Amino acid sequence: MSLYLFQILNGIGLGMIYFLISVGLTIIFGLLNFVNFAHGAFYLIGSYLCFTIVSLTGNFWLALALAPITVAILAFFTERTLIKRAYHLPHTYHILITLGIALIIQELTISVWGPIGKSVSVPDALQGVFQMGHFYYPKYRLFVILFSAVIAFALWLLLERTRFGALVRAGSEDAETVSLLGTHIHKLFSLTFALGVGLAGLAGVLAAPIRGVHPFVGVEVLGIAFVVVVIGGMGSFSGALIGGLIVGLVQSLMTTIWPQGSSLMIYGAMAFVILLRPYGLFGRA
Amino acid sequence: MKKMILRNVLLSAVLSATTSLSFAAEGVTIYGVKSVSGAFASYGKYADMGSKLAVEDYGTVLGQPVSYQTLDTEGNAGKAVRKVQEAISQDDARFFDGATLSSTALAIGKEVNKVNGVFVTPAGADELTGSDCNMSTFRWSVPTYGAIRETVKPLIDQFPDKKRWYTITPQYVFGEALLDNAKEVFAAEGIEHVGNSYHSLKEQEFSGYLTNAMAAQPDVLLLLNFGSQSSNALRQAINFGLKNQMTILMAWSSGLDQLQELGPDIAEGVYFGAQYWHTVDTPMNNALVKRVNEVYGMNPNYPLAADYISTTVILDAIAKAGTTDSAAVAKVMEGTTYAGPTGSETIRSADHQVLKDYYLLKGKSAADMADADDFVDIISSGKSFPDESTLMCKRS
Repeated sequence: MSLYLFQILNGIGLGMIYFLISVGLTIIFGLLNFVNFAHGAFYLIGSYLCFTIVSLTGNFWLALALAPITVAILAFFTERTLIKRAYHLPHTYHILITLGIALIIQELTISVWGPIGKSVSVPDALQGVFQMGHFYYPKYRLFVILFSAVIAFALWLLLERTRFGALVRAGSEDAETVSLLGTHIHKLFSLTFALGVGLAGLAGVLAAPIRGVHPFVGVEVLGIAFVVVVIGGMGSFSGALIGGLIVGLVQSLMTTIWPQGSSLMIYGAMAFVILLRPYGLFGRA
Repeated sequence: MKKMILRNVLLSAVLSATTSLSFAAEGVTIYGVKSVSGAFASYGKYADMGSKLAVEDYGTVLGQPVSYQTLDTEGNAGKAVRKVQEAISQDDARFFDGATLSSTALAIGKEVNKVNGVFVTPAGADELTGSDCNMSTFRWSVPTYGAIRETVKPLIDQFPDKKRWYTITPQYVFGEALLDNAKEVFAAEGIEHVGNSYHSLKEQEFSGYLTNAMAAQPDVLLLLNFGSQSSNALRQAINFGLKNQMTILMAWSSGLDQLQELGPDIAEGVYFGAQYWHTVDTPMNNALVKRVNEVYGMNPNYPLAADYISTTVILDAIAKAGTTDSAAVAKVMEGTTYAGPTGSETIRSADHQVLKDYYLLKGKSAADMADADDFVDIISSGKSFPDESTLMCKRS
């Protein structure tokens, strides 16, 4: 297998992780018109919950089930008590509030788990690699690709083919009318916010065995998530998928073509897309 | 008007006298330049604990009480310099130690040198005792020259058949220095350097670089990054099964705190270079381990030990100089040999570099660990420093 083909496989794997990281951000922005700078911090909670559950029980699958739900519940109550009061305010207030939440979460994380990072072991069933010529691909990364694909399909179904999805989409266009038709629009928004943030928690769990866990991971993740969302188009589900894959492939291929510039080229790709399509590949003006 | 001027002059004189008196009454203050918050807090927290403990253990010097004040850099060189400048101008500060980041240490060294102060740092940049050396700056950590020679060379000796080495390097001054030294050792030992992947300072995803390494089919993978980058590079290398395909050496680990992060599953069988390890059997280290366990209930890690000894060295020099005149203290420190945590340590006069051991460690399996911190065996240790005739340090 050639080096470049393997880097493409690698890039797809990375891209699916980036999709998971950014899809929640784009859902929240697209449907609630809310800029969530605490997205990375909720990813952080997901990864630390994963570490704690795996440390206590040795069961990664339990962490995969419980941690995102816990993060979503936390997000639900955060939305009900704080976020919902800011929907009508300009985006600058959204940034201010969510940055504050992110800093609180980060410092609480240091207080609870300490400043030193942690590692989460790959579950036993997914230990090992697949060999392809001179190359090896971790079973766990393959699992992440497949699992993310299933999540992507399930999300698409939820948002495009269910009553819940239809109501959320309608609510994002005209909340007042949807409310007059008998839907509890605030509850719907709370659930949507919890869903988006829960996906950040899920990404935190899945990435923990690959990237480890440390208190400042949220900032790194937020940067990548915004790049993906800007490339794909703010608020576009398909954009998050395609944007994630573009970022993953660019990063992976550039590590062979121009290794020292691979991170830089992610931003190069973003600038290129903005020049061609200012609202992103699937964004709307 | 004259009365007002006279009153102001008198008031200034009284305030000045009060300040002088309070300085004399407060005794000697060591200023710890530590990143106790921000992205490098995991390092700065322990460094701060080390300096605090050293000051507490010292008690008094020249009959005056010793005190300690933390200057939180927040992992930001600009903030660090501003706080050091304020401490110098407002508190007449002269004795400093710490600085996690090389950029911070280089900037602080210049500021402290302007007032002929003393600054002891464990930072990594070779320029501290090289091209940017000065009368005030002293460095405890072994430079890249020694870190490579005390890890790569012993590994080559141990595995003479492993001739193909691949390197992953962060592209900035520190990484380049490690790489240049590695290339010198490769050339001298007949090693084939089958490839190198540079990466940026912000990189956390190493799968692409590891794929490049796989394609080159090396016998040894040499990681020349450090901190969270080396942790993620190693973690992902283990994910990719490289531990079973090649020997892995992380030339510049941070020691115990990094191994606590990685855990034995990842560290097992991997080689690590380290400035310090808590089981080193020297009188000073044994006492330090006992003391740190008593006070903090933990074993000392590298930042704690480095800043403990840095603080102690300054206080010893003040006692030996018999004065708090910082220029005289710096002069006394030159050429001093003392019992440090790694054994006998000497401050070289020519460049203010502390000559001390560097360690090659090998990760143990979880089953072989005698206690929670028993992550490694010490494979070898030794002192390797560039010859004085080749030093870049040219002090006036």
